[in-house]
Amino acid sequence: MTSTIERSPVKVRARSQRPDRTGARAAPLFGLPAVAVVALLLYLPFLWTTYVSFTSYDGLASPVWSGLANYKAMFSDPDLVGALVNTLLWVVGMVTLPVALGLLVAVLTYGHKWGTWLRLPFLLPYAISGVAVGVIWGFVLQPDGALGQALGFFGLPGAHTGWLQAGPGNTIMMIIAVTWQAAGVNALLFVVGLQSIPSEPLEAARLDGADGFKLFRFHLWPQLRPITTVVVGLSIVGSLKTFDVVWVMTQGGPGTSSETLALSMYKETFVLNDYGQGAAIALFLSLVTFAASILYLRYQLGDAREQG
Amino acid sequence: MIHRKALTALAVAGALALSACGGGGGAAAPKKGEDKPVDSLKFYNDKGGWKDAFTQVGAASKKDIGVGMEPVGYSDSNTYTAFIRSSFRTKEKADLFTWHTGKELQDLVDQKLVAETTDQWTKAVADGNIPEQLKQYFTFDGKQYCVPLNAGYWVMYYNKAVFKKAGITETPKTWADLLKVADKVKAIGVKPFYQTNILFSFVWFETLLAGKDPDLYDALATGKAKYTDQGVVDVMNEWKKMIDAGYFSDPGSKTEPQAQLKNGDVAMENFGTWFSGNLNTLKMKAGTDYDFFIIPNVNPALPKTSMIFETGPVCSAAASDHASTVKKWTDWWVTPQAQTAWANSRGDLSFNPKAEIKDPGLAALNKDVGGDGYRLINRWFEATPVPVANKALEVFGAFVTKPGDPMPGLQKIQAEADAYWAKQK
Repeated sequence: MTSTIERSPVKVRARSQRPDRTGARAAPLFGLPAVAVVALLLYLPFLWTTYVSFTSYDGLASPVWSGLANYKAMFSDPDLVGALVNTLLWVVGMVTLPVALGLLVAVLTYGHKWGTWLRLPFLLPYAISGVAVGVIWGFVLQPDGALGQALGFFGLPGAHTGWLQAGPGNTIMMIIAVTWQAAGVNALLFVVGLQSIPSEPLEAARLDGADGFKLFRFHLWPQLRPITTVVVGLSIVGSLKTFDVVWVMTQGGPGTSSETLALSMYKETFVLNDYGQGAAIALFLSLVTFAASILYLRYQLGDAREQG
Repeated sequence: MIHRKALTALAVAGALALSACGGGGGAAAPKKGEDKPVDSLKFYNDKGGWKDAFTQVGAASKKDIGVGMEPVGYSDSNTYTAFIRSSFRTKEKADLFTWHTGKELQDLVDQKLVAETTDQWTKAVADGNIPEQLKQYFTFDGKQYCVPLNAGYWVMYYNKAVFKKAGITETPKTWADLLKVADKVKAIGVKPFYQTNILFSFVWFETLLAGKDPDLYDALATGKAKYTDQGVVDVMNEWKKMIDAGYFSDPGSKTEPQAQLKNGDVAMENFGTWFSGNLNTLKMKAGTDYDFFIIPNVNPALPKTSMIFETGPVCSAAASDHASTVKKWTDWWVTPQAQTAWANSRGDLSFNPKAEIKDPGLAALNKDVGGDGYRLINRWFEATPVPVANKALEVFGAFVTKPGDPMPGLQKIQAEADAYWAKQK
C-alpha cells in the first residue's frame, strides 16, 4: 500500500490509522459470503445445467452422456425450429413496435403543457404484470371475445376471426398485446433522454428554421442515441425470454403454433421430463441472450465513443 | 490472522455446500431407513382444490386409527410432478403422494422408488374393498404398487333446464338418439356438446374410438396399432363431421366448463364423475339442475358398453422412514368407512363398491359399472405414453380449432409413437 504520490501530512496520518487499514484489507472478506451465495445459487446450477444438456436425463435415473444429441434435435425437430422462428418474431416485434410507439409518444408529448397527463394512459399498463396482461388480452381476443363483439356491433368484418387460433397471426396479436404494455415505459425512458438534451443548440436550430420532422431527424434523434441503446437492448433481452404472456394466452398452442423457446424449455423439462433437452434449450437461450447483449452494446457504445 | 481464519471458514463452508449439492441422484438402491412410527403423515397431492376433503379425511383417520394426515396441495400439476421427481434425490422422502397410473408410475417403479403393496392388494381384493378390475393399472411385473386414490367414470353431464326447454323427455340410449338430442338442443340455439382445445382436447377422440372399436383403442395404447390406421382415420372424420355440423361449443373459450353448463351455453359435457364436485361448488343441485347419463356406444353391435374410467394412485416412497405408519394408514384408507367419508366429502364416488355414496345417481352408477354390461377402458391420457400423448394433444387442439384432413396430424402423432416404441424394445 505504499504510494509515491505526495500527500498532505494529515491525509497520511489518517491512512496510517490502524482500524482503517484492517478495514480496507478485510473488505473483500465481507463480500465473500455474497460471492459464495451467488456461486452456490447461480454458477453451480449453471454448470450442472451445462452438463445435463449433453445427457439424456429424465430427472429420476442418472444422466446418460449423449453428446450433442439434444443440440441436434433443437435444430432438426420441426416444433423446436418453429419455436426458434417465433422467438425471432418476438425479437423483431419488440424491437420495433413498442420502441417506435414509445418514441412517438415521448416526442409528441415532450414540452407540451399537458405532457405528463397525456403520457399517463400509456404508462399505466406498465404497472400490470405480464400474466395479468395475458389474461386481459385473452378475454379481448378469444373467439367472440371483446374484440369480436365490438367488430360485430359496428358491423365490421372479422367479428368471428379466431385471433389466437392460428400461427403466425397469434404471435403477432400477442406482440401487439405486449406493445400495449411496454410502450409506456419506453416513452418514459425517451422523455428522460429528451430532458438531458441541452436546450441551447435546440434553440439555435429552431432559429435556423428547423422544426417538426427536420428538428427531430437532425437534432433530437442523434442526441437520443444513448437512451435508444438502452431501450433497444432491454427489448432484445426481454423478448428472447418471452414466456408469461404466451403461457397464459395460448400455452404455445394451438398445436405448437405460438410456442417460444422459453416455453419449449419449460415443456421439455417439466411436461415431457426430458431434462437434457430442456437444459440444452436453456443454455442456447442464455448464450444467445448474452451474445446479443454484448455484441449490441459493444457496437453501440463503441460507435458512440467514436462519435463523442 | 483474521484473514486466514475467515478464508478457512469459507473454504469449509464452500466444501460443505458443494458436497450438499453434489449428492447426485443416481438410481442407487435406497438405504433402508430406520422405521420410525409417527402420529401424522404428510400427504403431497396435485389436487389443491380438494384441500377441505383431504383435511376431513385426515380428521377421520385420526379418530379411527390414531394416525392423522395433513395435505400439502399443489394446484399446478407440472410444478407438482417436478417437485416429486426431484424429492427422490433428497433425504426427505414423501410418505404419501398422489401420482398417475401408466407410464408415470412405471418410471418410478423401474427406478425402485415406490414402495411395493402386493400384500395389501391381495387382502383388499379378497375383502371386496378394491375391485379386481383395477388391479392391472397398479401391477408391474406381477407386483402391485400404490393403492387407488379415487375412481372416476366418464359420463355425459347435462343441464336439465336446457333439456326441458328443448322438449327432451328422456336421456338417449343409443348413439342415434344422442345425435337426435343434439339436433333438438341446437334448434333452440344452445351448443349441444362442450369441447376445448387445451388438455381435454382428447376427450371426444377417446369417446368416439372407445365406442366404435375398443380393441383398436387398446392396441393403440400399447403400440400394436398405428394412429394412421383406417379405423383411427374414420374416427377423426366422424369427429370432423360433428364439428362441421355445429355440435360443439367454441374450443377456444376461456370460460370454465362448469360455468358454461350452468349458464346454459352448452347442454351436455362429457366428463369424469369428479365433475359433480365442480358443479356442486357452483351451487348446482344434482338431479335438479344437472344430471348425467351413460354415453351410448357409437357402434350398437358391440357386446358391452365402453366405459372410460380413470384412477389415480396414492403412493409412498420406497425409502420412507415411516413405512409402518404408511401401511397402517393405507390399510385404513381402502376400507368402506374411510371411502364413505372420502367420497362424500367431495360429492364423488369411490373405487370401493361398499362405500355408501350419498348422491343417488352416483351410487347407482357405482353399483352398475361393477356388473357385466360394461367394458372398463383406461382413460386415454393415462393409457398413452407421455410424449405420444403430448404430441397428440397438440394435434387434437389444432384439429378442434380448425378441422381439416386428419392425416398429416395423425402422421405426426405416429412419428412420435414410432420413436417412443422403438426406445422401449
